[in-house]
Amino acid sequence: METASRDWRTAIPSENADRRVLDEFVQRTKNASTEVHRVHGIKESIKIILDIANGMKAKTVVAVPGTLLDESGLIEDLKHAGLQVFTSKEDIASHVDTADIGISEVEFGIAESGSVCQHATEAVSRLVSSLPPVHVAFMKSERIVTGIQDAIDILSKGFDSGYVSWLTGPSRTADIERVLTIGVHGPSRFILILVDEAGGKGVQ
Amino acid sequence: MAKKRNLRKEINEKLHDEVLRGALGRFAEAYPIARAKALENVEDVEALRDQLKETKRYAVDHIEEIADRFEIEAVKRGAKVFRAATGKELISYLINLCKERAVRRIVKSKSMASEEIHLNDALEKAGIRVKETDLGEWIISIAGHKPSHMVMPAIHLNRYQVADYFSKELDKSIDPDIAFMVQTSRTTLRDEFLKADMGISGANFGIAESGTIGLFTNEGNARLATTIPPIHVVIIGYEKLVPSIKDTVPILRLLPRGATGQLMTSYMSMIAGPTPCLVQKNGRWEETLKELHIILLDNGRLAAAHDEKLKEIYQCVRCASCLNVCPVYALVGGHVYGGQTYAGGIGAILTAFLGGMEEFEQFNELCIGCRKCVTVCPGKIDIPGLIEELRRRSIKEKGLPFIMSRIFDVMSNRRFFHGLLKAASIAQKPFTSQGLVRHLPLFLAGMTKDRSLPGIAAAPLRDRVDRIVKPIEKPDKKVGFFSGCTMDFVFPETGENVIKVIQDLNMSVSYPDRQGCCGKPVAATGDVEYTKKIAKNNIEAFEAVDVEVIICACPTGVEQIREYPHLFKDDPEWRDRAQSMADKMKEFCTFVAGEYEKRGRLKKAVKSHNPLKITYHDSCHLRRVLNVHDEPRKLIESIEGCEFVEMKDADKCCGMSGSFGVKYSNLSIPILKEKMKNIKDAQAEIVVCACSGCMVQLQGGIDQQAPGLKLKHVADLLAEHLESKNGG
Ligand code: SF4
Repeated sequence: METASRDWRTAIPSENADRRVLDEFVQRTKNASTEVHRVHGIKESIKIILDIANGMKAKTVVAVPGTLLDESGLIEDLKHAGLQVFTSKEDIASHVDTADIGISEVEFGIAESGSVCQHATEAVSRLVSSLPPVHVAFMKSERIVTGIQDAIDILSKGFDSGYVSWLTGPSRTADIERVLTIGVHGPSRFILILVDEAGGKGVQ
Repeated sequence: MAKKRNLRKEINEKLHDEVLRGALGRFAEAYPIARAKALENVEDVEALRDQLKETKRYAVDHIEEIADRFEIEAVKRGAKVFRAATGKELISYLINLCKERAVRRIVKSKSMASEEIHLNDALEKAGIRVKETDLGEWIISIAGHKPSHMVMPAIHLNRYQVADYFSKELDKSIDPDIAFMVQTSRTTLRDEFLKADMGISGANFGIAESGTIGLFTNEGNARLATTIPPIHVVIIGYEKLVPSIKDTVPILRLLPRGATGQLMTSYMSMIAGPTPCLVQKNGRWEETLKELHIILLDNGRLAAAHDEKLKEIYQCVRCASCLNVCPVYALVGGHVYGGQTYAGGIGAILTAFLGGMEEFEQFNELCIGCRKCVTVCPGKIDIPGLIEELRRRSIKEKGLPFIMSRIFDVMSNRRFFHGLLKAASIAQKPFTSQGLVRHLPLFLAGMTKDRSLPGIAAAPLRDRVDRIVKPIEKPDKKVGFFSGCTMDFVFPETGENVIKVIQDLNMSVSYPDRQGCCGKPVAATGDVEYTKKIAKNNIEAFEAVDVEVIICACPTGVEQIREYPHLFKDDPEWRDRAQSMADKMKEFCTFVAGEYEKRGRLKKAVKSHNPLKITYHDSCHLRRVLNVHDEPRKLIESIEGCEFVEMKDADKCCGMSGSFGVKYSNLSIPILKEKMKNIKDAQAEIVVCACSGCMVQLQGGIDQQAPGLKLKHVADLLAEHLESKNGG
């Protein structure tokens, strides 16, 4: 399963996204109430996460590290900073309902709608991005496509089985008197960290 | 059998429901702005809508093939697929499954299809605990209501009412604070998610080539319902299937924008086959493969797919844009303007084939035919057209009610009908008090509060034309004039002005006396035979005069006469004769603007010192059937001494629309009131329109609500200008 649907990710453009496309993407993610940060190398994000954690007196983090986080040592840093971080499937399953922060990685962004696309076949990736009140997602900043059409073009090259989610801002409802209220069943804060990879691959 | 409804009573209740009126009124204001904003970064909206329409058209024409492929692919990936012909079949499949897997608790994310078959009731009767998890759905489920809107099911309730229902459900006092109530539902339903044995979801689309289903939600409940419980059941109607993932593009781009004015909902998920899930066994978490069941629901859909006209419903993506712009929905909401499950005009159509014609017949008349919905529907569904089609069928099946057939006898007998109208002008009072008169053209209906209805003119146009028509030596064109009955009997002066304007172009005018009603009031009820009779009479009348062009200054007449060839599609002789009349038919403003343009007369007049302020009301049919927008405005602007001012929502219905205005006068009047407010706010001295139906309605509104204001047809304005020019 995992292998079958991994294919589409190879279709994501890895060259630098156009500056305009990136700007548009950032603007639209913000319009959708996503909090966007841009870091140079993943280590830079430790401060952001710790600020968030301190601000909400967070104790527990559940994380599904992918290739970005695996190499970065970020998880270790968070543990050193005193946070309890769970990363195994079993641990996530037992703690995700009470965890303060969920961390995951997302594959690419869509400028047209300010969405990010998550490879979500593993249940844990959906759990950490759904149940805790705060979800922090990491994404390589060059991985942005212009339109929904482009996004579907990518998925059409190999999304054959499994689960894919597009995330566009935090969970929301307007079901009572059409008053927009954030954080119904999913997170009330969605924080996107755009990573310019060390080695200068980021968008200038 | 559908329960007999008392629509008039229901309407009156809702018109007095302040909560509902407030909520719907505010929404009707906010929605068009939000939608337009969301579409700002779509380059070609029309092309995208066409793409959605074509995609769905292809799907419906190949539905069996696509459904087979969907099933094969889903099964290949490990899903179980069940095809339910009816709601009953679906329910028994599901209850069996629950028994086999010892399912006691279910969480549901939104599925209209499950509401259509009353699934929750059935499951609860079988002793299974079912919780809706979409906040709006949860609210109405604890309130015991049906959804009043497809996207915002609880839009009819305010925070205080919701707090009451919450308090009862949770057995403690809940403050009417929206943020707090949302948090309360989060904690209450979180527990339900964690304990559920099964999650049920709907689907916004299904992709055949990979057996994938797609889901949009904002709250995130669908992701949880499809992630936490070990069994996931999808209920999907056949109309949601498309061949390939590329076909989802127009849905992805249009559905959220139209539904909520968002560029994308917070969550959009695609699920292809079962995925791993985590279950607790003996205190330990283990990963297993989820059990995925996909139920394809027919319940009338496959039959509709093979119906040349009704198959259009496959183009519906349930975005509710059509409700959001509907003037009738905005007044009474979906509980009155709707069937058991689906609201509004599209609701009437869906009800016809899901709930049956009887239920359709009880509320379809609330479609005023203004066609605003057609301009926003992502699938470009001709909602009013389909409703008319269904009306026609119901009449074909049952025949006209006796009283209506008597009236149509009268209307299709021109001489007698006209005699009757003339008699009415002399003795309006006693005539109008008879019950039968309600069904005759509207101007016979008498007076109502907030709107007077104009009387019949002492001398109809047909008796005046001889005085106006003058011989023209070498006419540029020979023009026939089709007036339609309202202009003939209620606004004969306007008819005279039409003639004057045409003659001023050095064109001759013939007004065949034999012409009668265009037939629209009859056609609207769905009666084809009487409509044909009326059409034949008009075709013959205009064959008897030698003209190149036929002018009509009322959009309904133009539209109806252009329909004539379709009436005779199985009768080649009459079809050709009808076609030749239809080909000559030109709408007044369009024709005159074109001729003025050729003669260099359509220029903006020079600004004058103290101009007469004029505003323009777009008739629904002129604007949205004939697509005329610029011409009348340009004609107004060409007149010296005038200043054109645009009013707010100029193309919003005035509330007339044939017999609707009379039969549902309690709905027609508030729509007119809003129109009158917009006219007054434009601060014009004259309101101009180009439709005699609208003139009836607007004149009534002016009499009662703005006595200082003047109403004119574009023809009146032009003719008066000619006279003042020639006279001075
Ligand atoms: S008919 Fe058109 S506008 Fe109405 S719900 Fe369906 S797709 Fe949306």
